Amino acid sequence: MRKNIKITPEGAKDYLFKECAACKQICASVEKIFKMHEFKQVMTPGIEFYDLFTMESCGLDQETMFKSVDNKGRLLVYRPDSTLPIARLVATRLKNKILPARLYYNQSIFVNNKSLSGRSNEIMQMGIELLGATGKRADLEVLTTAVQSLESTTDDFRIELGHSDFFNSLSNQLDISDDEKEKLRLSIESKNYSALNNQLDKLEETPAVNAIRKLPALFGGEEVFDKAADLFKDTKAINALEYLKDIYHELSKLNLKHKLTIDLGLVQRNDYYNGIVFSGYVEGFGDAVISGGRYDSLLDKFNAPMGAAGFAINVNALAKIYLNDKKVDYDETPDVLVFANNGNEMEAIKFTADLREQGKKAQFCVLETIEEAKDYAEKRGIKNIEII
Amino acid sequence: MKPLRIALTKGRLEKDTVELFEKIGYNCEQVHNKGRKLILPVGNGEIEVVLAKAADVITYVENGVCDLGVVGKDTILENGTSFYELLDLGFGKCKFALACKKGYDFYSGYKEKTIATKYPNVTRAFFEEKGMDVRVIKIEGSVELAPLVGLADGIVDIVETGSTLKANNLEVIEWVTDISARLIANIASLKLRKQEIEQLQKKMQEEISKN
Repeated sequence: MRKNIKITPEGAKDYLFKECAACKQICASVEKIFKMHEFKQVMTPGIEFYDLFTMESCGLDQETMFKSVDNKGRLLVYRPDSTLPIARLVATRLKNKILPARLYYNQSIFVNNKSLSGRSNEIMQMGIELLGATGKRADLEVLTTAVQSLESTTDDFRIELGHSDFFNSLSNQLDISDDEKEKLRLSIESKNYSALNNQLDKLEETPAVNAIRKLPALFGGEEVFDKAADLFKDTKAINALEYLKDIYHELSKLNLKHKLTIDLGLVQRNDYYNGIVFSGYVEGFGDAVISGGRYDSLLDKFNAPMGAAGFAINVNALAKIYLNDKKVDYDETPDVLVFANNGNEMEAIKFTADLREQGKKAQFCVLETIEEAKDYAEKRGIKNIEII
Repeated sequence: MKPLRIALTKGRLEKDTVELFEKIGYNCEQVHNKGRKLILPVGNGEIEVVLAKAADVITYVENGVCDLGVVGKDTILENGTSFYELLDLGFGKCKFALACKKGYDFYSGYKEKTIATKYPNVTRAFFEEKGMDVRVIKIEGSVELAPLVGLADGIVDIVETGSTLKANNLEVIEWVTDISARLIANIASLKLRKQEIEQLQKKMQEEISKN
């Protein structure tokens, strides 16, 4: 069999120098914001039991998980998501600690994408989870952290707000099966108006049907609220709209202007989220770079009911844009190369350290002869050679 | 301002889309005289047309290098994943159909049926919904040949006029779904360039509804 020793699996890649510097820069900026907001870092295992990620209403597709088995034949997965492990961790290890728990993570997730799609199967993610709190203040804290995190890495972005109750309350008024509801949701999620209309045409024309028909088009600025106000007759939906409006106005105080938008058709993982949902977009990356929301019912599954909200940021995507847009502060050439004559090695190493203390980028030459050292210095563009 | 970049499926959909663009007042001269160029400005530089094969239109839009795309529903059903489908453009109409040799009772018997198709995902989804277990074989060229030479019991393919089927003594036993050209949009583009995209979409929609 041919050995794959010089290539990486599809969707995986090496990160070199500047790429690392860009990722690190993004991580540092975001981490600063997370820490500023008093979130504390946790790390969860890279491999976990499959069962955790296939609980009902978790919105994760089993086909996209990388799987393995442990020595008892139990199914394992390579961390496909960080929120579920953190929910597990809070429900078990932080059970008797003071809530709310403010946690953040900086770790990769693994997604088994469709082959030849050009997507990464390993994604560096950072995110926060605020557990043990519900309500406006908790939502504002999460959203503000998200906005500031994006702001710290890029100038041009959009944060889009939605609420899972619109679709849920409207679809509950329809006399259709769960499968059909999911079909409706998918049509709304993909703004597929024709498919949505086809499905709705089969139903009796009620106010709920009419409202769902318009849901995918209800995105944009503040005008969305007026457009939506007439559509909802259901108390739950009206309350959700009022709440969203309130959150929108509060967040507007961050002076976001056109960067903050509304999308009532934001229905991603709708059986998982149960309140505010949001996504963030950046020029130059074709998908959401940040996504999150409120998921209060998740902790019930661990018998530790509590409010929870959070978000995840795609670090690789932001780093890629950062690399394209800005000059990454990365100068790889040393100022001085220190070459040691035979017997003077330790002195030279000490001298190199002294130079560094003076603020110079100094490298101890590991080549054997002065000719090789000179040749290396010339190729690397190192201006000074010190011979000890 | 960067032009709105729209990927068109080469061939008939490209022609129909350009016709639609011209009707709503965009100058498409450069597309008509394209030569071998693949990126072409339309109008006063507010739109840029990219010509690509059907499945590639989806790839370009999905990856965000094109903001919009025009592609058949057949390609979307077969390859589609994450993008917005904004508009049924009303042209490029045809149907997916299940066909077999004339007189063959496809649904009878307990033998596992074999289906030849260029669209394995569409075929699998169709039979999955029926709860019917079939074997799918992917064919690249004229699918009609497969049942004739005995490779498959039936085919799932695009049918426009039905004349190819007729000429080969095949008949449609069930329509799978209707197909037409769709306007699709990249997820982030629709958020970041909402106004431009909506304006274009509105103009196209108004023109389509005239017919």
